Amino acid sequence: MNNMSQNTISSKHRSPGRSVHIASYAMLAPALVLFAIFIAYPLSNTVISSLFEYGLTSPTRNFVGLQNFLELFGDPVFWVSFRNNLIILLGSVVFQVGFGLVLAAVFNRGISRRWSTLARTIVFAPMVMSSVAVGILWQLVFNPSIGALDAAMNFVRLPTPMLGWLGDPNLAIFCILLVACWQYTGFMMVILLAGMQAVPNELYEAATLDGATEAQVFFYVTIPAIRNVIIASVLITMIGSFKAFDLVYVLTLGGPAHASEVLGTYLYKNAFNLNRMGYASAIAVVLLGFTVTLSLIQLRLQATPTRSPAKDVV
Amino acid sequence: MRRINFRPLVYALLVVYLTIMLLPFLWLLVSSLKTTPEMFSSPFSLPAVLRLSNFVEAWQTGVAKYLLNSLLVTVVSVVAILVVSGLAAYALARSQFPGRNGFYVLLITGYAIPIHTVLVPLYEMLRSAQALNSYIGLIGPYVAFGIPFSVLLLYSFFLDFPKELEEAARLDGCNELQLLARIVAPLSLPGLSSVAIFQGVFIWNEFLLALILISDDALKTLPFGLVSFQGQYAANWPLLLASVTMATLPILLLYVVLQRQFVNSLAGLGK
Repeated sequence: MNNMSQNTISSKHRSPGRSVHIASYAMLAPALVLFAIFIAYPLSNTVISSLFEYGLTSPTRNFVGLQNFLELFGDPVFWVSFRNNLIILLGSVVFQVGFGLVLAAVFNRGISRRWSTLARTIVFAPMVMSSVAVGILWQLVFNPSIGALDAAMNFVRLPTPMLGWLGDPNLAIFCILLVACWQYTGFMMVILLAGMQAVPNELYEAATLDGATEAQVFFYVTIPAIRNVIIASVLITMIGSFKAFDLVYVLTLGGPAHASEVLGTYLYKNAFNLNRMGYASAIAVVLLGFTVTLSLIQLRLQATPTRSPAKDVV
Repeated sequence: MRRINFRPLVYALLVVYLTIMLLPFLWLLVSSLKTTPEMFSSPFSLPAVLRLSNFVEAWQTGVAKYLLNSLLVTVVSVVAILVVSGLAAYALARSQFPGRNGFYVLLITGYAIPIHTVLVPLYEMLRSAQALNSYIGLIGPYVAFGIPFSVLLLYSFFLDFPKELEEAARLDGCNELQLLARIVAPLSLPGLSSVAIFQGVFIWNEFLLALILISDDALKTLPFGLVSFQGQYAANWPLLLASVTMATLPILLLYVVLQRQFVNSLAGLGK
């Protein structure tokens, strides 16, 4: 039945016999099985677990309904973590995408190709490093007794924080933000630069003929032309901000006294230090809500709309 | 109207920025050659004598082991991702069958799910399967989480793939498997290598899953190994930094050599 209806719809395709279907399913099977075992099944379990109260080794699971969520929304550490995720998000969007955009424009129009390749190699390099290595490196930079930051501040006779950069509850999260920007701005620049290089040169020539300054070209030609790339970069940065974990873990472990906690580290601590699996699952559900919403928007933009068979669904 | 020449200013700012980007790397390298007392007495000077003892010690105390673990886990995971995603993407791009769109959407949606959100059930599942502290317990989730984005990339690659080649091969009597192995795979190298680099960099640097699934020191991957070093050798900065240098150099060198491929692959995320 199925074969017949498909044949009548698209006569171009070779009649897809049953054996071809079986071959297709067989090729899809490994991906689907792995997806089911390691993504779909655990994910549904996270949602279910968020309604229970239990520990890693406790023999019983007590159903508590939405109690975990109610407790979470009254938990000051949850709100501090959430605020910190938002600080990283806003700071990253403004700096990584904003400064990345300026850098990309300079690379695209301002400097010679040879220099731009060399400079790109340098600014992109931290992207291939592990965040753990970057974190340890910057812990040295922030170190109060031998760190470069204190030395630089002393050199220009500015005060340094009494408790150390990472030990000061008001500064710690901003230090983490700084490191994240150091690591990822080059990445954003490369994405944006790729978008700019696809802009037809005639647009620039026309603007220059009309007497536009470089700044005007940037705001009235470049930015509108790569609008979608900018939106994609903002979304990638936002998603990444909710996934923050490695840098926080290595630099401050969420301290001092939860001051630099993020949702990821708070989830980890509840599950694997405080033995509160249900509560941790509730945090995971909240995190999931944010990242899934943002990722689906990104996928919708990204999944080449004219060709995707899923264009009407995703 | 005279234009102000911004060029010198642009270059000056660029040089400042590049210095900020480069200095930590240089400082890392210089510091890893020092002794601990040297580090504390004159943190910014060059070491008095060139010695590699920190590197030797770091290598012997664990970096060699962590490096091998990372290499094994990364290579096996990436190969598995290529095979599994390649097959799935090829089926999705090349044939019509009931449920095709549904499966595509399902697989791609997996991209939206961060590993963070399944840590607890993953841990419980692997514990009951007695697969905690095993390579396979780490590789399984790495492969699964690598599939969605790889399918997305390879699917659009296969759509652009010339159909005529496959039809000619079929006429010559190639069966589907031969076709895949002899015609499609070799000609798909650009797409496959892009996926391999993207997933390889991610898995090589992955920390969170390794942290919860592995506790045996002999099985730790590099990022987790470095964090353990950080706890163990808190006062021995040069040793720690030598380890960081050794953990970072392989991928950094690979990046410098294959720069264009790395940038294209990783920036593909934003296309």
